[in-house]
Amino acid sequence: MIRFHGARKSTILPEWSTENKLLVSVNKSEEAIIDFGTKNLVMSQVEKKAGLLRRTSSSKKPLKEKVVLMYDEIFAVSAPAGGKKWWKEDPAKNNPRFWDELFLMKVNLEYLESKLESVNGEEVQRIQDNINSLFHHCVQALGEEHQIKVVNALQTLCALFRGVHQKNKSASGFDIINMLMGFDKAEQRMKDLMERLDSLLCGDSSESLKSLCLKLLLCLVTVTDNISQNTILEYVMINSIFEAILQILSDPSSRGQHGYDAVVLLALLVNYRKYESVNPYIVKLSIVDDEPTLDGMGVVLHQALTEYNRQYKDKEEENQGGFFSTLTSMVGSMFIADVDEKLSVQTNEAILLALYEAVHLNRNFITVLAQSHPEIDIAVTPSTPTPTTPTTPLGTTPPSLDVMNNPELPLDPNLQTSNLLITFLKYASIVMQDTKDEHRLNSARLCLIILTCIAEDQYANAFLHDDNINFRVSLHRMPMRHRKKPPGKNIPSRPLVCAVLDLMVEFIVTHMMKDFPMDLYLRCVQIIHKLLCYQKKCRIRLHYTWRELWSASPSLYAALINLLKFLLSNETTLLAKHNIFHLALLVVNLFNMFITYGDTFLPTSNSYDELYYEIVRMHQVFDNLYCMVLRVSTNTGQWKEAASKVTHALVNIRAIINHFNPKIESYAAVNHISQLSEEQVLEVVRSHYDTLTLKLQDGLDQFERYSEQPKEAAFFKELVRSISLNVRKNVSLNTLSQDVLLKEFSTIS
Amino acid sequence: MYKIRSLMIVIGSSSLSGGGWSLLAAMMADPQDDLSPACSEQNSPSFSICSSPSQSLPSTPSSCGPPRPASPPLGVISEGGGELSLVIDAEVAQRACQEVLQKVKLRQVDAAAGPAPGSQHNGPSPDRGIPAIKPLQIREEEGPAPGSVKSARRRQRHNPSKQSWLLRLFESKLFDVSMAISYLHSSKEPGVQAYIGNRLFSFPHDDVDFYLPQLLNMYIHMDEDVGDAIKPYLVHRCRQSISFSLQCAWLLGAYSSDMHISTQRHSRGSKLRKLILSDELKPSGSRARRELTLTPICLAVAPGGPATDHGLSPSKRTHQRSKSDATVSISLSSNLKRTASNPKVESSQDEPVRLAPQREFMKSLMGIGKRLATLPTKEQKTQRLISELSLLNHKLPARVWLPTAAFDHHVVRVPHTQAVVLNSKDKAPYLIYVEVLECENFEMSSVPMRIPENRIRSTRSVENLPDCGMMAEQRAGSFSVVPNYDNDDEAWSVDDIGELQVELPEGHTNSCDNISQFSVDSITSLDSKEPVFIAAGDIRRRLSEQLAQAPTTFRRDPEDPSAVALKEPWEEKVRRIREGSPYGHFPTWRLLSVIVKCGDDLRQELLAFQVLQQLKSIWEQERVPLWIRPYKIVVLSADSGMIEPVVNAVSIHQVKKQSQLSLLDYFLQEHGAPTTENFLSAQRNFVRSCAGYSLICYLLQVKDRHNGNILLDADGHIIHIDFGFILSSSPRNLGFETSAFKLTAEFVEVMGGPDGDMFNYYRMLMLQGLIAARKHMDRVLQIVEIMQQGSQLPCFHGSSTMRGLKERFHMSLTEEQLQLLVDQLVDGSMRSLTTKLYDGFQYLTNGIM
Repeated sequence: MIRFHGARKSTILPEWSTENKLLVSVNKSEEAIIDFGTKNLVMSQVEKKAGLLRRTSSSKKPLKEKVVLMYDEIFAVSAPAGGKKWWKEDPAKNNPRFWDELFLMKVNLEYLESKLESVNGEEVQRIQDNINSLFHHCVQALGEEHQIKVVNALQTLCALFRGVHQKNKSASGFDIINMLMGFDKAEQRMKDLMERLDSLLCGDSSESLKSLCLKLLLCLVTVTDNISQNTILEYVMINSIFEAILQILSDPSSRGQHGYDAVVLLALLVNYRKYESVNPYIVKLSIVDDEPTLDGMGVVLHQALTEYNRQYKDKEEENQGGFFSTLTSMVGSMFIADVDEKLSVQTNEAILLALYEAVHLNRNFITVLAQSHPEIDIAVTPSTPTPTTPTTPLGTTPPSLDVMNNPELPLDPNLQTSNLLITFLKYASIVMQDTKDEHRLNSARLCLIILTCIAEDQYANAFLHDDNINFRVSLHRMPMRHRKKPPGKNIPSRPLVCAVLDLMVEFIVTHMMKDFPMDLYLRCVQIIHKLLCYQKKCRIRLHYTWRELWSASPSLYAALINLLKFLLSNETTLLAKHNIFHLALLVVNLFNMFITYGDTFLPTSNSYDELYYEIVRMHQVFDNLYCMVLRVSTNTGQWKEAASKVTHALVNIRAIINHFNPKIESYAAVNHISQLSEEQVLEVVRSHYDTLTLKLQDGLDQFERYSEQPKEAAFFKELVRSISLNVRKNVSLNTLSQDVLLKEFSTIS
Repeated sequence: MYKIRSLMIVIGSSSLSGGGWSLLAAMMADPQDDLSPACSEQNSPSFSICSSPSQSLPSTPSSCGPPRPASPPLGVISEGGGELSLVIDAEVAQRACQEVLQKVKLRQVDAAAGPAPGSQHNGPSPDRGIPAIKPLQIREEEGPAPGSVKSARRRQRHNPSKQSWLLRLFESKLFDVSMAISYLHSSKEPGVQAYIGNRLFSFPHDDVDFYLPQLLNMYIHMDEDVGDAIKPYLVHRCRQSISFSLQCAWLLGAYSSDMHISTQRHSRGSKLRKLILSDELKPSGSRARRELTLTPICLAVAPGGPATDHGLSPSKRTHQRSKSDATVSISLSSNLKRTASNPKVESSQDEPVRLAPQREFMKSLMGIGKRLATLPTKEQKTQRLISELSLLNHKLPARVWLPTAAFDHHVVRVPHTQAVVLNSKDKAPYLIYVEVLECENFEMSSVPMRIPENRIRSTRSVENLPDCGMMAEQRAGSFSVVPNYDNDDEAWSVDDIGELQVELPEGHTNSCDNISQFSVDSITSLDSKEPVFIAAGDIRRRLSEQLAQAPTTFRRDPEDPSAVALKEPWEEKVRRIREGSPYGHFPTWRLLSVIVKCGDDLRQELLAFQVLQQLKSIWEQERVPLWIRPYKIVVLSADSGMIEPVVNAVSIHQVKKQSQLSLLDYFLQEHGAPTTENFLSAQRNFVRSCAGYSLICYLLQVKDRHNGNILLDADGHIIHIDFGFILSSSPRNLGFETSAFKLTAEFVEVMGGPDGDMFNYYRMLMLQGLIAARKHMDRVLQIVEIMQQGSQLPCFHGSSTMRGLKERFHMSLTEEQLQLLVDQLVDGSMRSLTTKLYDGFQYLTNGIM
């Protein structure tokens, strides 16, 4: 049985095989120790019973735990007594205390699950009543005072849900409900179940019990790959446990222990049939305005992201720590590091999704983004035993529990205060570094979607641009050959929007590659555009070095112009896959924003001159772009329309180039200077503004609002599927190690 | 022996029907009795008036009128903790005064030598507090009380005529708090002290409050009699007002701190403080009153409040604010519960703790200061401050207030992002802005409801949502697919930046018109296809115009975060914060600011404030246009407190550092050319304030006058701050700053040079100011003198503090001589090398320009 389990896991998770072996062996020995006593004790009873019931076979049968025997009884199908009809035996018929005893017994999850999986279609019909009865008794046992019974009932339910789904992958949700609860009673059963879980989660029950409740719920939510096909969740919609989740999040201590699970559960529930029906969790989440609760959610998200950032930083530092450690880590990373990192990104998808849902659905949550917390990534000692946490932050308890529970803000002079937004930006900067892996690409996309939502929100913009909220945000930058790693210490303290812009610039500069992430680029440019629109509307003159955004060199940030350059030089390869004209249009329109509305948001009058200087200096790029779009737009083809839009958008830039270039040349000629200095060019620019006429373009400051549906629906569907798989994997691993819990309660009782 | 010995009071009480009380009292004193200085001064106005016969009150023999029961049998209204069940008002106190006088008089009449009025421990009499109802009865049998030393004094020979002078003074309309305090301090006669103690009840609260530091210092450091005389008043006021209670407790703590630790614990001051803080001094009958006034409010709030506030959000369990993080992390402040906004909390507590919220509020603010002090850089401090305050916000609104404010209010929010850390080397004083809602009565009015931070925007709210089948029963079991409900459609009220309408300040509209015009055009042009052209030059011009139009701001400097915050015009700041506040729409919304000082002794500052305030009112009274700006000080303990910041003012150091201009050039930049109305009025303001502060600096010997300690406000006034070195103390005894006051060449330059009219005006103002101050010298001296009692403050170091101060008023000089003196002082200061030296020294050591 155990061997089977191990084998099964390893097929699903080849990369974990080593660890699974470890886990299996632990399980084996533990089971041996724990069951030794009970087995002996039970044996005589079992034999007696076996003797009574199956006199002939008892001698051959290997020794079985009592609980297994009891399972067998439930699943036993007796031969027809006389007629054609098979009849099932009520396990409680012979033993009125059957159910009481069952829940006092340690659950054998594997056996129960495999049993459920092994019954064939016909048998299912026959034993359905017994399964219903088991389910019913499980639910009832949840109300027991005896906590052992509650624990066992929870685990049994877990196995039931999983087993039934495993067996009936193709079956409709209705069949599964019928099998578990019976159609007629399903409603009542699920109502009872949810109510019991709710009261367990909200009551004073033990923390491990609450944790188990959440695991059960996570298990229930993730039994199907596609959450929307999980019909049982319809009952979870009707009998909401939303309030219980909120309560967990609002209380600091319970948040510390169960916050992670609660947030993930919430994120998943929100995604149940999101687009087809009314999901009460969406509605409820969108109107939460209780600050402690929202803050609690923010803290949980903050902690999870911080933990990831910290792990990344540790690894990075490790890699930089001299030759020897580089060598060892290289050797080491050949085996584990890769897997390790990917996994943590994967598990963080759930957290990102939760953050997205909170930001997207609940406007009050926006304030939480700016809520300051002390930065904990330095405070946490990295000496936590590595094998327990790194692969499964979703596992037992979230990391840095003690820090979360610490009520006083720690008094460490080295401590930087931070907030969720900063942590998120740092996280995004890590994730965006490498988008080759699909999970990372998804995470990066989700990060950009979250930023899009933030960039559209008025309140978020208000604090992003607040001159009084200054932070040093050290973003992670990809090490590149031609640039030095910017010294982390000298980052100026600036309004947060600067960090967002930096992040966007960083992304634009570092992802001009063959496998061009067009989608991400579009989002990036749109985020910049939205921020500019806000600045224009509110007349906020941000002291940001815009030149870095415009210019190619000498600054290492070769952002927008370089992007155009890249698009031009890779026209043919890119056109095969993407509509590069749309991106080009967006980029050109950013320039148009500056040209037309620069007076409303540029910080100095000089910065407007510099804009012209850069355009004139890099005129080649714009000329080439114009040639290209003109060529495409005159040809007939699928890009005709898109390209001609760009030609129109370029009108002012071309006017500037055509206006100033001759002036500068003649200035050089008159003054006999071959190479004009920047100051000289600026001088020419300044003196010739008045003869330049620009055309006002439409809708420069208008943008399409973000809408999840229909554009992003497919993305989220896939994302939720991947999260479900991941959560299921982790939960199943975890529920196995509930022996600790049992021990805890056996000592109580 | 030479002081007033005893008090004989002749009381004539008219009959009940006979109208008002009239009384005649006579004061007995030795013939040689040296009256208090105020009365001996020939040119003292108080004396001249009190001696006028017209002020004498009608007197009637005591025998007339029906006898009434004197409810408090003797002496002052003695009130221990929790004894009295009814509130005393001024009227009752007035009567008590009269009764004391009457008793003394009766004793005199009866020639009963022995009895003393000093039996202070009268049991609580049930009918006390309502004596007006019952006719006064002179209970003679009460006469013989246990003899005491005090009573022995009464046997002195009396001089009726002298007595009546003093009594007339006490009874005159001109007898004000200032005089009362003065006599309380100088008189060694228990009767007089007791009388004044009772008279305190009849003064307006505000007037007495000004002298509260003096009263409390006397209570702590002077003998029994003074203490006993003051205590009833203090207790009475404590019962009446939470804010007075705390004020007392804080001051008592601060002024007791100089005592030796062993005596301190058992001192009167500490005992009273403990009594106040134990919150036993509840207003009598408060329960009944509270029930009357508060219940209806609660009822009105309770049903409407949570329903509208939380809407569909589950109210079952989620609103356990008291368990929130914020509670824990501000730790202590579990008592800082919101009350009205959380009716459950209020109802669960039988009687809300009276003083606790405010004390916790102050404690939290101080805690923040302490924690900030551990951080090394300004930037870290600022960030930390903001995050700490944002946590504090979670506990607001609450029944807390800022003690520096002049009106009743509740604090509703701290706009945490506006807070700044001030410049200080090792401490971490910080400036916070506080949003308050003005209210009728701080104690009675209900605390405003909490509004979530982002509620200012129209949020996605329940009302806007389509009915999405929240009724579980209706949908139970049905698997029908409900028609798609898209959460991105207009169900949400949209207020994203796409729809954001920005209101521009008046000044900007002209230049912006074109743009909005264009925007409109740009939309129409879609149809007409007629392109709109703009000139690049216009854009460029608008940009530079708008930048020029914007008021001059200071650069953001991480090392001096307060400069920018202080430079922003107050009105603009108020408007800005109000716009961003969820409470901004309340008509009673006000913005206050306060500097929280932790680790600094503000007792000297408080003393300076009192002196400044006194001089200000003297100058106002004498109509001398000197200008000074005393700023309020709240002493919370011997090493913490709060300061009311001067708005629209930045330090001269900041001015010079940021603008890199001389003071005159800065004036020209800010106020315009030298001939403009603006500049002239700024210059006039500068001169008047310079004169005022020059005199202050001279009289109080204010030292440490570097440019960081001198502010310049938007109207051109200078304001001196930081009175850490006054009277006998000076910084580090370096011997710098020997000049009388700080008058740099730059100051003179702003005043139009040493030969200008304005400079002469300055000299003239100085002279007028000094003459006026001299005339009322006692009002100033008295403040300082009383505070010297039992004080270890450095400003009282040495023995000659008072004498020196008195000498600087130059009572003996004629006005011509005074004029000479002023000229001498001005010239001396102007030439003073040491001022320059000191500024140089400050620049070198502290980087202050």
